[in-house]
Amino acid sequence: MGRNSAIKRFDPAKEAGQPLDLFSGRDARRPVIVELLRSPWIVRGSQIASGTSGHSGKRREMEVEVIWNGARRAPATFQMNGKRYTVDALVQTWTIERAWWDPRTRLSRRCFRVLARGGLYDLAYDCLTGRWLLVGVVD
Amino acid sequence: MHLHVHSRFSFMDGAANLDALIGRAVELGMPALALTDHQGLYGAIRFYRAALMAGIRPIIGAEVVVETAGLFGEEGDLPPEERLHIPAAVGFGRAAGRGFHLTLLVKDMTGYRNLCGLLARAHVRSAEEPSVVPLADLARHSEGLIGLSGCTNGEAGAAVLAGLGWRAEATLKRLSRCFAPGDFYVELMQLLTPESPRYVSGLAAIAQRLHLPVVATNNVHYVERRQFRLHDVLSAAGAGGGLPGPYERQNAELWFKPAGEMRRLFADLPQACDATLAIAERCNLDLGLGAFHFPGAKVPPGETPYSTLAKAAWQGLERRYRPVTPASVARLQHELSVIQDLGFSEYFLVVKDIVDFARSRGIRCSGRGSAGDSIVTYLLGITDADPIRHDLLFERFLNPERRQMPDIDVDFDSRRRDEVIEYIYRRFGSEHVAMVATVQTMTARGAVRTVARAFELPPDEVNSLSRHLPWVSAHRLREVLDTYPECASHPLKDTARYGLLTELAEELSGCPMHLGTHLGGFIITREPIDTWMPLQWAAKGVVVSQYDKDDIEALGLVKMDILGLRMHSAISDTVELARSRVGTDAVPEPFELVPDDPSVYELIASADTVGMFQLESSGQRNLAMRLKERDFEDIIAAISLFRPGPLEAEMITPFIRRRHGIEPVRVPHPAMGEVLRDSYGVILYQEQVLRVASAIAGFSLAEADSLRRAMTKGRSREEMEAIHGHFVTRAVGLGVARDAAEEAFRQLQGFAAYGFCKAHAACFAVVSYASAWLKRYYPAEFAASILNNEPMGFYTPRLVVNDARRHGIGILPPHVNASRGRYTVEDDGRSIRVGLRDVHEMTQRLLSAIEREQDVRPFRDLADFLRRTRAEAPAAESLIRVGALDGLGSTDAGRPPTRDELLALLPEMKAVIAREGVAGDDVLVLAPAKARTPEDPTHVSGWSRARRLSAELEIVGLSLECHPLALARADLERRGVTWARDLPRLADRTRVRVAGVRERAQTPRTRSGKRTCFLTLEDPTGLLDVVVFEDALNRAGETIVKHRAYVVEGVLQNNQERGIAIIADRVEPYVVRTASGVPVRMRRGVPSGPMGPSLGGAGAPEEESWAAADLYDG
Repeated sequence: MGRNSAIKRFDPAKEAGQPLDLFSGRDARRPVIVELLRSPWIVRGSQIASGTSGHSGKRREMEVEVIWNGARRAPATFQMNGKRYTVDALVQTWTIERAWWDPRTRLSRRCFRVLARGGLYDLAYDCLTGRWLLVGVVD
Repeated sequence: MHLHVHSRFSFMDGAANLDALIGRAVELGMPALALTDHQGLYGAIRFYRAALMAGIRPIIGAEVVVETAGLFGEEGDLPPEERLHIPAAVGFGRAAGRGFHLTLLVKDMTGYRNLCGLLARAHVRSAEEPSVVPLADLARHSEGLIGLSGCTNGEAGAAVLAGLGWRAEATLKRLSRCFAPGDFYVELMQLLTPESPRYVSGLAAIAQRLHLPVVATNNVHYVERRQFRLHDVLSAAGAGGGLPGPYERQNAELWFKPAGEMRRLFADLPQACDATLAIAERCNLDLGLGAFHFPGAKVPPGETPYSTLAKAAWQGLERRYRPVTPASVARLQHELSVIQDLGFSEYFLVVKDIVDFARSRGIRCSGRGSAGDSIVTYLLGITDADPIRHDLLFERFLNPERRQMPDIDVDFDSRRRDEVIEYIYRRFGSEHVAMVATVQTMTARGAVRTVARAFELPPDEVNSLSRHLPWVSAHRLREVLDTYPECASHPLKDTARYGLLTELAEELSGCPMHLGTHLGGFIITREPIDTWMPLQWAAKGVVVSQYDKDDIEALGLVKMDILGLRMHSAISDTVELARSRVGTDAVPEPFELVPDDPSVYELIASADTVGMFQLESSGQRNLAMRLKERDFEDIIAAISLFRPGPLEAEMITPFIRRRHGIEPVRVPHPAMGEVLRDSYGVILYQEQVLRVASAIAGFSLAEADSLRRAMTKGRSREEMEAIHGHFVTRAVGLGVARDAAEEAFRQLQGFAAYGFCKAHAACFAVVSYASAWLKRYYPAEFAASILNNEPMGFYTPRLVVNDARRHGIGILPPHVNASRGRYTVEDDGRSIRVGLRDVHEMTQRLLSAIEREQDVRPFRDLADFLRRTRAEAPAAESLIRVGALDGLGSTDAGRPPTRDELLALLPEMKAVIAREGVAGDDVLVLAPAKARTPEDPTHVSGWSRARRLSAELEIVGLSLECHPLALARADLERRGVTWARDLPRLADRTRVRVAGVRERAQTPRTRSGKRTCFLTLEDPTGLLDVVVFEDALNRAGETIVKHRAYVVEGVLQNNQERGIAIIADRVEPYVVRTASGVPVRMRRGVPSGPMGPSLGGAGAPEEESWAAADLYDG
């Protein structure tokens, strides 16, 4: 059963809850999801468990191919495991500049948390190597 | 635009240079810019002026630490999960981690005064408490201020990040009530961290709920993104830890972002960016620069400041000029009228008040600088050089055409300067007086140490990296490492290991490290001083302004330099010692002498000037040999010639050649010849520029001074052409031939910027003559006084002692029965007894005990000495080794114990005294110490001469019996060494070999840009001046730095034009050895180390040291 099935089955005639499709389509649903993701008051379960706020969920680090959208200053699509993901929305960006004095552990990245195919992905552009990396699949 | 900006004046928490910030704001088209450094306005005035010059509106502000606002109890009362933790911030001094950040911006003058007061009260309230602004104080004094809620270390921001919305809301509510409605903004920062969206939206939501406006800032700490490394290094080193520093910053986003970038970051909240413009519009501070604010002068009832000043001046005229001459009357009338017109009477009265106090207490003082150009300062007793006799021009000091704050600097006896300072605080009130600050910036050494500490290198490694670095600016670090011979094996040259460190250290060049205290600058204000500037405690325990002298001058406040001059102390001491020996009436007051004693000039002309004020440096001695001073004007000329300007303009050579008739005096016009008669047609003095302009082109002296100033500053060619045309036209109008007028202008243009202020030289010359006269007639007292006031002058105490010995004065070693703490004169002025004060390990307690017990009865032996003084073992050992207990007591052999025997007895005797509280009189007989056989049975110490000398050099830093090289005389003569006293007899260009102990090694700037080392060496017969040009220096650099004595081979330069010096080809180290081959240790007496700074040096006037180069160069 899909995660919105309860909503979809809403019947207003029945007294005790009916499925109702609140969104006319995928595009209508996206802003709500993004808004919820950006909301400062909602904390994801993984964040509570780890005690950190940003780098949680499933941590991965793999090189991906990204097509850049210059106008939006955000990735337009990325390709992972042979499958192309179109970025539906940019949720958040942040930058990392760490251990610059130590060439072995230095990190210089610009990160993008994007919504694609219903999932949340952290993409990072590594400024030192010029490569795109998938650094996390969140929640 | 940016409203939360930290510059380098956030001390170790800001990497942005003020000029770069302003330049960037202009480049980005920002109409205004704020400066909000931590806890102060350190850079505010220079920022204000520079921003106005650049055409943007300066907004002055500060990021302060305020007490908790969102709680009514203590942080500790909360459950642990609800407490806010502030990271130990840098740049906040005592307030670090003791409160929350809040940004304050000044709207107007009321706000400025309130901010100064808030900061001053927070800092000065107590030297121990953290400098936290209480909310009650903020609420009372927030008029004219705009508050922004602060960064992530602000209470509201920190609460949002901690998920404590209630606390953030309570904080913002309470803070907003401290300000007038509409004057408090919630500050939003989108710093591109994972938490930033939550931070911004959280604060924005609360702001909306509370109906508070929001404003976007970026907490700027550096101008360009790439500078984040510097910021990390500074904050880490500032917090006393290593990288990543106390904030553990996650990224590099605290840079000066363009407006477009900020708008993109706040796309959802455009009103936050709009608010920056609205705030800037409301900030219209006008500091009223250009006006003067004098402190209140004491004026009798019914008098005005001017009438009081005039009366005092006329009384002074009768005292100073007997008979009163028409010229002096006319001059006084003129000066008084100018002072009245400019409204400066109060300033003169304030200075007079302080000088009068000093005189009334017998504190020696003398004015210096261009104030000597005024007859009023002369008559008020502030300066001592007669302006009429020396043709000094008032307009050089106070130009009626330019209303500029006069500057009167006064030197006081440095030992009694504190009495003067105490009087100033008492007279004007402590709330009206503060000391001027100086901003301590990073040199190459400081920068290397800062970066090395941030990299957490071990302390030994940090020391090895910074040690032996020349005193140069950090931006030249790599150049210096590559080119300076003494850095040939410096560890920083390992670029693989230290490349990044060196690169960062270079970027830190000139970065302010901390606030210092000016040597003697005091600000005196009529209004309470904290309405003008923030104050704080300095490390010295005095209240210091956050502004430096330029800031004070810009604000139009009165700054007085109460400088301590050790030469004044030495002169006073000499007079006292001499009077105690020969009677009070026999020694006149040296400042009141008529300067016409030929034997004094003979002494100066023979370059025998060690100890003389302004005349003793190696360059001045060289000049004396060429100039052959004959009268007071010659002393003024010598002081003036040996300055950067005259040296750069190559005035010395024509001056000397014309003086000795080697070349004729040539001037373009006879009138100029008359004006420049004293300097043989050379425009040496700034006052002469005025005279020439007046004589040739008919300028008034005020106009002429304006012309001089115009020529001095870098003018465009068009401006200079206009001045040129004006000058020539007026000259031709007066009947001067065009060619002559053109040539006169060319000379003025060439020399105006390089001349020296004659008044300054004349004021110094009075002191120079006094010191020379005392050296001539009371040499022992003079040398003892110099030694008692060390560190002072150009030379080390060791050289002063050797110089006294060369003048036939006996040097008596320190002895517990004969020496006091200070150096004294014995044997009817023929000997100096070394004081105990300089003995290594001597303590003030022991010194007092020795002096006290000496007054009771002499010490009988070591036991008696230890029992009565309770001397600590290290000090007692030093005293024994230097011979201060020689000849005391008796052994069973019926002779006094040797030093070895005393040293062997010392621990046992200390133990007996410690155990029993008293040592028996016969300890020496009962417990004879086993010691080695005396090396020299003829000497009471039992020690050889070499060993005694080593001990003297090590323990008192002096060679008391003889010069160290005297021990090696035979060896040196075998090597064909020529002694210093024989050099004048050798012909110019003779090849010589000399040997000497290093006194000074300097590498001043030279015209050619090449590096030249000036070595001042000393051999047993006198001083040697050695010039090591770049080629030789490349070979000998390391030798010079790492050794203390050298054998130098080179060509002697010995002619009237250039004096005596050795141009070195080779510099080889020389180790003085005893007959048995043991080296004589000279560590304490002759420190090794890098060559002296290119500017200044210990105790040497800045100009002298580097200017020496030009005497020889080329």
